[in-house]
Amino acid sequence: MLKKGDIILLVITALLSISGYVGYSMYMDRIESLSKIAVIRYEDQTIRRINIDTVDKLMEFTVNGIYNNKILVEKGRIRVIESDCPDQVCVRTGWLTKTGELAVCVPNRLMIKIEGENLEIDGVTH
Amino acid sequence: MKGTRKITILSVFTSQALVLSIIESMFPIPLGIPGIKLGLANIMTLMTIVIFDFKSALMVVVARVVLASVYGGSMLVFWFSIAGGLISTAVMGLMYKRYEKYFSIIGISVAGALAHNLGQLFVAVIVMKELSVLLLYAPFLMAAGAIMGGFTGLIAHFLLKALKRIITT
Amino acid sequence: MYKTLKVAILVIILIIALVACKGWQKPVESENFLMGTIISQRVYGKNAQKAIDAVNRRILELEELMTVNRSAGDASKINEMSGKSLVPIDQSTLQVLKKAVYFSRLTGGAFDVTVGKIVQLWGISTDNPNVPDKQEILDSLKLVNYEDIIIDEYSCSAGLRYENQSIDLGGIAKGYAGDEAIRLYKEYGITSAYINLGGNVVVLGKKPDGSPWRIGIQNPRSSNGKYIGIVEVADKTVVTSGDYERFFEKDGVRYHHIIDPKTGYPSNSDLISSTIIADVSVDADALSTSTFIMGLEKSIDFVENLEGVEGIFITKDKKVYATSGLRDSFRFSDESGEFEYVEKR
Repeated sequence: MLKKGDIILLVITALLSISGYVGYSMYMDRIESLSKIAVIRYEDQTIRRINIDTVDKLMEFTVNGIYNNKILVEKGRIRVIESDCPDQVCVRTGWLTKTGELAVCVPNRLMIKIEGENLEIDGVTH
Repeated sequence: MKGTRKITILSVFTSQALVLSIIESMFPIPLGIPGIKLGLANIMTLMTIVIFDFKSALMVVVARVVLASVYGGSMLVFWFSIAGGLISTAVMGLMYKRYEKYFSIIGISVAGALAHNLGQLFVAVIVMKELSVLLLYAPFLMAAGAIMGGFTGLIAHFLLKALKRIITT
Repeated sequence: MYKTLKVAILVIILIIALVACKGWQKPVESENFLMGTIISQRVYGKNAQKAIDAVNRRILELEELMTVNRSAGDASKINEMSGKSLVPIDQSTLQVLKKAVYFSRLTGGAFDVTVGKIVQLWGISTDNPNVPDKQEILDSLKLVNYEDIIIDEYSCSAGLRYENQSIDLGGIAKGYAGDEAIRLYKEYGITSAYINLGGNVVVLGKKPDGSPWRIGIQNPRSSNGKYIGIVEVADKTVVTSGDYERFFEKDGVRYHHIIDPKTGYPSNSDLISSTIIADVSVDADALSTSTFIMGLEKSIDFVENLEGVEGIFITKDKKVYATSGLRDSFRFSDESGEFEYVEKR
């Protein structure tokens, strides 16, 4: 039923659409890695995702748990601005601006992370 | 074949195409990509090309698109449909006439579906003046075209087998 | 014609495999609050998620065994029965205790897990840390002696010789957990992974692209992941102890969380940060704490004499020293400009 040309046509179509798809997904990865998404996790649950590049006005909200973390977002950066936890590590961490950066409040089990891979280092020992 | 007989059959084909395009508009494919259709009306275009000729097929397509736009759809949809229809008919007509040796009905149908989808995409790029759309949608539209085109081609293949004798004699 | 078809199908399968491979290159990342800290993992490979789940379960198990905050844990049971009897313990607690005693002997007591009582007095890592009474510290200091840890391997049990003695495995448990994580990754066929247990970094293999993992050494006088240098490692662990991790201030004095077992007070050597790079994380964990307490001069000589162990030390006057084995893999890079790298001593 199928002739030689049919098969060639189908193969070429398959090849083109698969390679097109690969290119497409690589392009999307690139786009995604370029935009900075701040992920806010509380008790191992993601509670908010904010694209901090597109924030155009000051944003402030509080995550309430055993302790309370007040989070401040500006264009291109995010931080814990106030916390009533005992160690204050989260507040001292300051602004997060680069992908891969992390601010953690262990007592309140809160974490803010800018998604994506850090281009300079894979991690920090402390 | 006599003129009257031809006109009668062509009008039947046109109305069949119209019915098919209305039927498929009732079952949108939820893939999240605009413009993907089953392309059932393609069956009738293909049959017209095989049984009659390219010119007749063009008439069937234009009549079908014009009539379908009467039943609903905006001006934009009309231009998209006519562009896709004409390009795919042209490709299928050419392939059937020149390269029938190498391609079966199914292959021709696939080529037609591809031309239809990519043709519409080109129109979209021209209208939206945004080239990246083409690059993003092309692989999906191609894959869809190959699958749908194969499907409609298969139907046309069996229909032709059954109808060719009846109509041409 | 069938040949064409066969070739075509082969090519398509190949391309799909290639696309799938690309998917494998993407790591699974996870962050969890365990062992009183945050544990980040980045694992490559098709069993990545399963491996991460297994590691998290294992760490939870270890936490229950080794923390002194869980009364049912081995550490709590040993403390409770101190001076009375040995208690049966888990095989992993036994391993950790053996390591603890080994490193206490090796460091001449700079590392000593029997400081439990004093850690408790300071209230370190509780909500209200405080400066204890001097006499209280002196009294508790008498209870600190790693030679009083009794381990019976045959019955898998352990105990403390005298009543009121107390162990705190906080300085070594995370290291052991790191080694367990690597063991589990391997069990799941993983060849490339990174885990950070509240600052203790352990890496398996190289990154999938074949390059080494790049680990930043935290700037001890700044936060926000700012680092003073980068060390490139594969199949290694990097553990840092510093005076900045946990501390509190009282009457203008800063008290940090690393207690010198000899004085009962937060260590007051000339170091503010001590990093150990080694093959085994439990070793690095114990060594980073002990070198931090021992101070620069002793630590450098000590570490140079240990096989497969390297160190990076930062002094109070903001000078950075690295042992000789790190010449190639450590790159000093301090954005703040406050620190000075001393290449040759």
